[in-house]
This record gives sequence, C-alpha cells and structure tokens, in this order.
Amino acid sequence: MTGQKPLPPIDDDTRAYWAGLARGELLLQHCRACGHVQFYQRALCGRCLSPSLDPRPASGRGSIYSFSTVHRPPSAEFKDDVPYTVVLVELSEGPRMISTLVDTPPETVRIGQPVEIVYDRVTPEITLPRFRRAAAPTAG
Amino acid sequence: MRSYRGQVAIVGVGETPVGKVPGRSALWFNAEATRLALEDAGLDKAQVDGLVTAPSFVAPFARMSVAVSEYLGIRPTFSNTLNVSGATAAASVSVAAAAIHAGLADTVVVCCGDNMLSGLTRDLAVKALVESRDPQYEAPFGLLVATTFALTAQRHMAEYGTTPEQLARVAVVTRGHAMKKPGAQMTAPITVEDVLASKLITTPYHMLDCALVSDGGAAFVLTAAERARDLRRKPVYLLGGGESYTQEHIFCAESITTTGAAISSRRAYAMAGVRPEDIDVAGIYDCFTGTVVMMLEDLGFCKKGEGGPFVEAGQITYGGRIPINTHGGMLSYAHPGLPGGFFHIVEMVRQLRGEAGERQVAGAELALCHSLGGGFATNATIILGTEEKG
Repeated sequence: MTGQKPLPPIDDDTRAYWAGLARGELLLQHCRACGHVQFYQRALCGRCLSPSLDPRPASGRGSIYSFSTVHRPPSAEFKDDVPYTVVLVELSEGPRMISTLVDTPPETVRIGQPVEIVYDRVTPEITLPRFRRAAAPTAG
Repeated sequence: MRSYRGQVAIVGVGETPVGKVPGRSALWFNAEATRLALEDAGLDKAQVDGLVTAPSFVAPFARMSVAVSEYLGIRPTFSNTLNVSGATAAASVSVAAAAIHAGLADTVVVCCGDNMLSGLTRDLAVKALVESRDPQYEAPFGLLVATTFALTAQRHMAEYGTTPEQLARVAVVTRGHAMKKPGAQMTAPITVEDVLASKLITTPYHMLDCALVSDGGAAFVLTAAERARDLRRKPVYLLGGGESYTQEHIFCAESITTTGAAISSRRAYAMAGVRPEDIDVAGIYDCFTGTVVMMLEDLGFCKKGEGGPFVEAGQITYGGRIPINTHGGMLSYAHPGLPGGFFHIVEMVRQLRGEAGERQVAGAELALCHSLGGGFATNATIILGTEEKG
C-alpha cells in the first residue's frame, strides 16, 4: 500500500525557491548587506539579519559531503524506492543541502565525489532538487 | 559566572519496568516512576512543589507536566514540559536545579515516561520520527532521523578511518553491561559479527547499531543541598551543567563530526571545576553506536578521531578508561523515546550511591551524563558527584 509521499508545503518564505526549481533554477539567497550565501530560504540573512536578500541561481554543482543508503523506508510511501541514497551535498557556492542521488548504484557512492543537480518534476508546483554523479570534478 | 554547583542534589530515583509493558499509558509510566522516586527519597508527594517532564509521542496532552501532576494528585507551583528532543534528559535536570537555586521551588520531580513500543506500532513510531524532519527540505527525500545520524557516522569514518567493526563494538560492550542489569530489554550476548550481519537500516547502521524501541519511565527528585543532607539516601550533588543548540537542520551544521557536545561539556566541566580525566563513570546517550564514538571525543575522554580505536581497546568498560552505560543504555536496556536518556541518569546516581551491585564501578565519585538529539541539534551535559564540591 503506497500512498502519496510528503510534498513540501509552500509558504511566503519559500515561494520563490519552489518557483525557481519549477523553471529549472536552484536559487540561493545572497545577502546584499554582508555577502553571506544561505540555504535554506528565509526572510532575513542568518548572519546579519538584513532583510535584503538577492535570490540568484546556483551552479547546481557540488560534491558529496556525506551520504547514507536507506534500506528501511521511513514510511510505506518509500517502500518501492529502497535502497536509495540520501546525500548531504556541499554546493560549490558553500551551503549544504539534503537530497537523494539518482542513476547511481549505492555501492559506488563515496564522500567527495562531484555531483550535479537533476530537476525532478513531481507536480506542476513542486520540482524536487535531486543530484547525480557528475563527470568531472567541480571547483570548490 | 553564577553557578548552581553543589547547591542542588538528586535525593531519589525511580524506574518502572521497561521493554514491552503492554496496557500502561504514558501518564502511568511518569506517575509510577515518580511514586518510586519519592519512596526512594523518603518524601511525601505533599512536599513536591515542582514538576518537569517531557511530551509523550503517544499521549496527546498539550501540557504533559500538568497532566502528570494531576494524575499524581499534586498542585505544583513550578511546572515545565520541556522538549529539546534527546537532550531533554540532562537539560531537564538543569532546569529543575535552576528553579530550586532561583527559589522557584524547593522539591522538584523530574520524570519522563512513554509507551513507544506498545502504544505505537513500530511503523507508526518511525513515521512519527520522519515527520519530525523539515517538511520542505528533508521529509520529501525520505530522511529518517537515523539517516541524519548515519550521515555523521559516514563522514566520521571518511575523515578519521573509523570502522564498522569499531562502531559494532559499542553495541557488543553495552550488551554485556545490560546482561548484568535486572529487567533490561535485551540480554542475549552478541558479537561484532552479529551486529554486522544484522539487517541494514541506513548505512553504515545495521539494526543492532540502533537503539531499541521500548516502553518505560524514569524519575528523579531534586532538592537543595542543605535539605538533601537530612534525607534517607546519600545525596548525589549536581556539580555542573552545560547545553548547546547549534542548528536545527543537519545541513546547517558547521561540522557534522564535531558537535555541540564539545561546547556543552566544556561548560559543564568549567562549572564543576573538574576535567574529563577526573570522571569515573559516564552515561552517554547512545541512540546509535557511532554517536557514542563521536561523543567520547567531544566529551574529552579521547582525542578527536580516536573514538574508534578507544572503543576497540576496551576503554569504555570495566578496567578501561571510562566505563559507560553500565545499565546497557538505549542500545540494550531501553529506549522509550524521550525517556531514553533518563535511565542513564538513574544509573549514574546508583553508581555514585554505590548501589549498582555487580555493575558497580569501584570507588565512583564523579559521573558525567550526556544527552543529545535531532542529529546533534541539541546537546546537554551534567556532572554529578558524591561531594558538594567535587
């Protein structure tokens, strides 16, 4: 019995982020006051509290900071997906994010491997940012 | 800095049966543990004017500390339902001590109980935990709480060469401890090979690298040191406490292999005026085997990166540098959710009172308890001693 997987509830803080993903852009917030680049999306800068944030598309490239291959699904909706590999990706712009790997056999995954974003359109509103192994190492 | 060092003591402890205890409610586990702790302290419930507890995963009470008080028939003037996930255990002792030290209450019960095993099915328990992840940035990717911790262990293995065998050794050693603790949920001996052959949950963790799911409750009674001296049990003094809250999301952590435990323990040691090498026995929150390896480093019992070899060399059991989780911990004694870390504190009190029977660490005078939660989002440390001034 596999039901609906949890979908992100969009709010004012994150509307631009999900709209960006839907058109194929991963947005990071750049603080106009202090230059801090942040993930996740907030109404203020997590370093200096400035509300002046500039959403800019990220390169979509990064590397695997850590990973774990899930064999026991958290709920019935994920049963058909196991084993899947959760990754903590360090983006080349600096911030880290949680995602899952696509098209990558779990036994080949290593920390430090370069990855690139894959836009996984789940509904018209929601595109999930997933990652796959990238051919060449990325800077940063 | 102001300090509650030596001002407050634990004067009674209680724990309910643990493991599978069907038919009992979360309220009952809280109340029964409290009844036993008051009996141990030789105090009447009429003398209790403060109560601190944590929410239940199973019972829907919005004000758990008030509900538990009503069940016990007490009307406290200080009440707090504290939730900093796994760190709640040590943090709630600090909250109670602060309340006593500040004059808000004279005698505070700290209790916690839940029926995660009988009240929630295993699937529902796991689902409740996954739903505690961020709905936008974590849950859509099927992130188990266990996976959050697994990410830290995987990185620790890559940075420092920690091995799956070293992680497994933590489960093997603490299972050995549980075998000497009456009532422990798991008492069959296991080997490193058994751990590595158990079902993979979320790499590098196997089933036997993960804490249990249990029913159970624990409680302690705290009062001012000058009152404690006149009570029936040898007082166990609170010498220091420290907490650290470094991030909510694992992806916002500055480091995932050095945690807020380094901060919380530094504060606790400073308040107590003691060093890691002075500690005789420790209760370390063991939701996963790798968690213990990292905590041994952050709590200062060994150098960063040396947790794996430290465990392998037999340093976390009798005859080693620092016997830990002499009751078996959450890996083998019990883990009913938020109460999981409370049993470590009960055990450390028994060690300091010299009542641990065949589990007794000879001459134990100083104990450390560390609890943590949310993939190291929350950390709390307390230091307990047999003397007011350590």
